[in-house]
Amino acid sequence: MSRLAVKAEGIWKEYQIRHTLEGPQTSFKAVVNAPFNWLMRRSNKYAHIQRSEPFFALKEVSFDVEHGESVGLIGRNGAGKSTLLKMLSRITRPSRGRITIYEHVNSLLEVGTGFNVELSGRDNIFLNGSFLGMRVSEIRQKFDEIVAFSEIEQFIDTPVKYYSSGMFVRLAFSVAVHLTPEILLLDEVLAVGDSSFQHKSMAKMKELLGSGATIIFVSHNDRAVRDICKRAIWLDKGEVRMDGLSVDVVEKYVESLGG
Amino acid sequence: MEILKKGKSFTPVVITPPARLELPDFRELWEYKGLLFFLVRRDIMLRFQQTVAGFLWIIFQPLIQMLIFYVLFGLLVQIPTNGVPYTLFFLSAFVVWQFFTQVVNNSAMSLVGNIGIIIKSYFPRLALPLSTVASAFVDFGVSFVVLMVFLLVNGGYPITFRYLLLPILLILTAIFSSGVGLLFGAMMVVFRDMKNLLNFIVMIWMYVTPIMYPVSIAPEKYRILFYINPMTSLVDAYRWVFLGDAGGLPRINYLLISLVVAVIIWLSGAIAFRAMENKIADVM
Repeated sequence: MSRLAVKAEGIWKEYQIRHTLEGPQTSFKAVVNAPFNWLMRRSNKYAHIQRSEPFFALKEVSFDVEHGESVGLIGRNGAGKSTLLKMLSRITRPSRGRITIYEHVNSLLEVGTGFNVELSGRDNIFLNGSFLGMRVSEIRQKFDEIVAFSEIEQFIDTPVKYYSSGMFVRLAFSVAVHLTPEILLLDEVLAVGDSSFQHKSMAKMKELLGSGATIIFVSHNDRAVRDICKRAIWLDKGEVRMDGLSVDVVEKYVESLGG
Repeated sequence: MEILKKGKSFTPVVITPPARLELPDFRELWEYKGLLFFLVRRDIMLRFQQTVAGFLWIIFQPLIQMLIFYVLFGLLVQIPTNGVPYTLFFLSAFVVWQFFTQVVNNSAMSLVGNIGIIIKSYFPRLALPLSTVASAFVDFGVSFVVLMVFLLVNGGYPITFRYLLLPILLILTAIFSSGVGLLFGAMMVVFRDMKNLLNFIVMIWMYVTPIMYPVSIAPEKYRILFYINPMTSLVDAYRWVFLGDAGGLPRINYLLISLVVAVIIWLSGAIAFRAMENKIADVM
């Protein structure tokens, strides 16, 4: 029995690449210049100077992910992996097409989102947890576990600015691994902390997989994709180039890089 | 989440291209009330705990302003205030004005100022400006106590049935301020100079609102112009509550207009904010 977790139907993402000096934001200067630019574009001589040009980060991308699947997204820089993950995380919306998400999602694009260094570890756990979509009751229930996992018990009421960078990362990651999503969206956040902590984190990830969570994982690291994911989707210039068993897809992808 | 634990059916989330006009999803916002709470808590803790005089600042700010304007307009210019001591006349309106500026300034910065969180996690963005309204209420509570102390020490201004109007006035002020803040917050995303302009706009706005002078100093035929600004009738109404009839006559019809304006401003602010929150991850 299989049920759908994510369905992406013909998604496109269009960005405007600006050619004029003005950035995406309008400044006072741009407002003053606007009529002159407009006149220049109207005269035939400068007709070729366009204000902006569309760039498609994703083109007609469609795929289904079933419940419990682990899918790796691979591809070169600018292939559209991160855009796709951002879209699944609801940070940006598609220009065309639709995505349907059938289960509860947590996305982990960064560890420690919303952390404030002036606040204590305790306050940051609650703040970060709520940014990641956890309920207060859920955070409270897991609080001791989160603190124990991060190994910073005696500093939990100290402002985070006095933490070492290792402590900071451990705390941030500890909140993240205590999420209980049905779908987990991950963006290369596995490599944090020292090696013993990394080991612990990987074990926690495997545990999540074992519990039947659906995982979508973006990585440059083909080995990590092959180890964690059964299936891989290879994105190339915004299009799905290959979709299949991660062993096969990663092999073809690595081949293409070599060639 | 709960949904997961109980294994209940989860309403599928459909992600589509943004429509031209979208209203905020209030049901979803309610689900994120925990986040709202922690945002307010963060704001208050950062302001109260980190500075030595965090709490005292909230008390001193209106008092220092009051002193300046008392010397200027109470002693030197001697603006007629219908028999009300200038200090009370000023303070009774200024505490409201402080609430307004705090909400407008902080809501206006809520998208641009939280860009780091916005591009890394999903939550109803409206939680950010709404949390500023809640923390402004905390500050208002403090300056309200200061005002009450002044009123009661003076002795001539007892607490009357008129205070029953206060909650309604506060809700009205909150809706209007929040709406203005949302509009500026949306503009801030695309119009870079807005950040600097906003300071001037708020300053000019204070001078055209009868905070430091009564509307009655203007010639009769021009007075109506003051009421284009919804803050005028609100300030009038607060003075009517705090200072009695000497504070000016209540203008219920103007207050009703303010209510309509406040709701319209809030809805257009919410729509503009929504349009920009769809855009912000792509432009910044």
